Amino acid sequence: MRSDAAVADKAARERNAPEYIVEMSGINKAFPGVQALDNVSFQLRAGEVLALLGENGAGKSTLMKVLSGIYPRDSGEIIVFGAKQGEYNAKKAKELGVAIIHQELNMCSHLTVAENIFLGRELTKRGVLTQTEMNNKAREILGRLNVDIDPETVVGDLAVSKQQMVEIAKALSIDARILIMDEPTSALTAKEIEDLFRIIRELRADGRGVIYISHRLEEIGRIADRVTIMRDGKYITDMNNEDTTLPEIISYMVGREIKEKYPKISCQRGGKIFEVRNLNAGLMVRNINLELYKGEIVGVAGLMGAGRTEMTRAVFGVDPKESGQIFLNGKQLIIRGPFDAIKNGVVLVPEDRKKDGLCVRLSVRENISLPSLDIISNRFGYVNLRSERAMVEKYIRELRIRLPHAEVETVSLSGGNQQKVVVSKWLARNSQVVIFDEPTRGIDVAAKVEIYNLMNDLKRNGIGVMFVSSEMPEIMGVSDRIIVMCDGRITGEFMAGEATQNEIMKRATMFDDKLAVAESV
Amino acid sequence: MNTDKTRRGKNYFKRLLAVRGMGQVISVTIGLIALCVVFQILSSNFFSPDNMGNLLRQIAPYLIIGIAQSYVLITGNIDLSIGSIMGMSSMMAATMMTKGVHPVWAILTTFICCVAAGVINGQLVATCKLPPFIATLGTMTIARGIAQIVNNNHNTDTISIGIGKATTEAFKNFFYYGKILTFGGKMDAGGNLIGGFSIYSPVIIAIALWLLFNFLLSKTRTGRHIYAVGSNADAARLSGVNISATITAAYVVSAACACVAGLIVCATTGMGAMDTGNSYELYAVAASVIGGVSTLGGQGILLGTVIGAAIWSVLQNGLQFAGAPVAIRNIVIGIIVVLSVLLDVLIRRGSQRRLTDTPFLNSLLNRGQEKTESRV
Repeated sequence: MRSDAAVADKAARERNAPEYIVEMSGINKAFPGVQALDNVSFQLRAGEVLALLGENGAGKSTLMKVLSGIYPRDSGEIIVFGAKQGEYNAKKAKELGVAIIHQELNMCSHLTVAENIFLGRELTKRGVLTQTEMNNKAREILGRLNVDIDPETVVGDLAVSKQQMVEIAKALSIDARILIMDEPTSALTAKEIEDLFRIIRELRADGRGVIYISHRLEEIGRIADRVTIMRDGKYITDMNNEDTTLPEIISYMVGREIKEKYPKISCQRGGKIFEVRNLNAGLMVRNINLELYKGEIVGVAGLMGAGRTEMTRAVFGVDPKESGQIFLNGKQLIIRGPFDAIKNGVVLVPEDRKKDGLCVRLSVRENISLPSLDIISNRFGYVNLRSERAMVEKYIRELRIRLPHAEVETVSLSGGNQQKVVVSKWLARNSQVVIFDEPTRGIDVAAKVEIYNLMNDLKRNGIGVMFVSSEMPEIMGVSDRIIVMCDGRITGEFMAGEATQNEIMKRATMFDDKLAVAESV
Repeated sequence: MNTDKTRRGKNYFKRLLAVRGMGQVISVTIGLIALCVVFQILSSNFFSPDNMGNLLRQIAPYLIIGIAQSYVLITGNIDLSIGSIMGMSSMMAATMMTKGVHPVWAILTTFICCVAAGVINGQLVATCKLPPFIATLGTMTIARGIAQIVNNNHNTDTISIGIGKATTEAFKNFFYYGKILTFGGKMDAGGNLIGGFSIYSPVIIAIALWLLFNFLLSKTRTGRHIYAVGSNADAARLSGVNISATITAAYVVSAACACVAGLIVCATTGMGAMDTGNSYELYAVAASVIGGVSTLGGQGILLGTVIGAAIWSVLQNGLQFAGAPVAIRNIVIGIIVVLSVLLDVLIRRGSQRRLTDTPFLNSLLNRGQEKTESRV
């Protein structure tokens, strides 16, 4: 009797087994100034590959960080394997079998494969590591994945693709049932991608759920069972992969009308001021040719990892070039480092203002004057504090940087004001070409408009302006001409009036080499 | 009327605090005063005129090597070779003088060698990108070896055998024994002054070096570049700063100061000793860090290094006066160093949250600001 009841009980449980292994609903998450997730719902089934899609900043990564317990949610419900989760953190997520394989691999490159796989839960016998046992277990897991990696190799000696396999092996070794892969193919070759896909299919056949985040839309069609699309921190839709098409996915991703206002002035397009010819620098800058004319703003569009930042850094001389020439007003420039570029009047407002743009612990005054100290000091290097103050005050006033006084540490300013400090560093030099890399990232709408106005002022004054942005509406609203990059190459060019979001997105996801060459000719 | 006056007072205080790192300097100055008071209570002779004169003379070499280390620390690096360069300087100059080389030429040659050592340090760290700890550990050992080899692995004889008594006196007076200002004290039977307060020549040398290098650090392009490199080398490079030249400049300043400190030691004894300056690189770190120079770079002012060097010497001198054995002195000083670095770390951690320099003083400052704002 008793055993019968148990059997019936088990059957009932199986009948009621949840269709979804992950159910998230009404998830909200705010960061200062941004609602990163707005009432998002999300489901994952056992034994499926779900592609999570959206433009840069749509909230995909934030949602996955909530699922893996890295960020606490502000509100909303998380159900994993049918169990409603209250307090939810990284440790809890791990216990439930959620594993995230990051875009940047997180491994100790000096340790061996086996040591990495068992990191933090090493097998021991009476307190002594049992190296052989760990190696054997690692070999067994790697064998199950059907990859040829010796568990005793040092991880740093492996190719990136192999390291990724080790990450997956590590996830399997803790019996992860839910695997999140964030841009797993961005560093892989075509053959390595095939290997990865084979493993993903095996994981799926094994009944595990895989969440796959990628900007490479053509991959989605080949690997995903279902797609979920997000935009501006909101859940938009989800569909079965076979019921949809690429254009439909793209239209859901860009979806919105350009509703924000972009101040735009029209200028007579003048002569050519700046030209880059056949620039090559590493994998992410391949054969770049571009020109800037007076009186126009050139927008550089593309998805993350398209090589736009690398291109600006190579032009500015931060990273070494393999080949290529740079011309300013028809004269060739020799740029060996940022110093040469600055001296010639070509400047870069870098993407990551905390890392590359500012000395955050120094005062606003010292930051603004740093590249221009040669102008305000005599030939013995004595800095004229009065001219320095005058210069700094001028830009604080002109750019309306809000601060108590110029001596405060730059770190204490808001993002928008910090960005204005970075921009004003370069205005004092009478630069001829200004390259902005993501100048409006993480700043509020009002500050964005001020940055646009500033770019317009430069344009009006005949200064060459190039402007890298990941925000499509911004690119379309501000630029006079748009260049699209993908995989380190220029894959498209549009005049402002001709471009549509769908067309740009198509070019930005154009990973096929032959196609890119054919189209750009 | 009255509020006007207090507001002006507050503004002055605010402006003083707005100078970067001043908060920390004020905190440690309060600590220094407290230490002095404690030592005066423990031994009533602490504040006597002749001890004060002596104390200032003891501070001088620590201040000089403190300046040296502060320069390098502000660029975000470290110089472990300071002590050995002191030894090298002392031994080279003394050996030459015992061989009859005039002090001026001996000093000049020594100085050039020390500066060359600084250039090598700078190039190893900035151009070859070696970790500064390892690079200067190497040059530290090499410089010590040079100090030993110049006189065939022996301390030198007294320098007067080479350059004569009168020149030796001049050399010793210039670097150590000369007095500038004297008051108090008594004449003994032979007409020599006993006791009393004097300002000795090392103090003058230290002040001169401090004025020079403080000017260089706070008023010139190079100084600004030193802060920028220490604060964020990537951003400095993208702003057109020559990182390699800046770091090398800091190491050269460091080696030059260490050279002068070595000459002072040489003049003190009138001979060269091979172990001159042993561990001084670490005393220099202590003086800098107590004074608010961060080991992480980009922060600190040389005024703080003065206070740091003073605290270091006051502890040595005061504990000695209070009759503490050497072992106890070392333990107490070690604890003080750890505590002051801990304070630095805690303040930094706190400032990441509150974005202020020193929580205590800034809370005063902010309260002042809120008040003025609400008044408006």
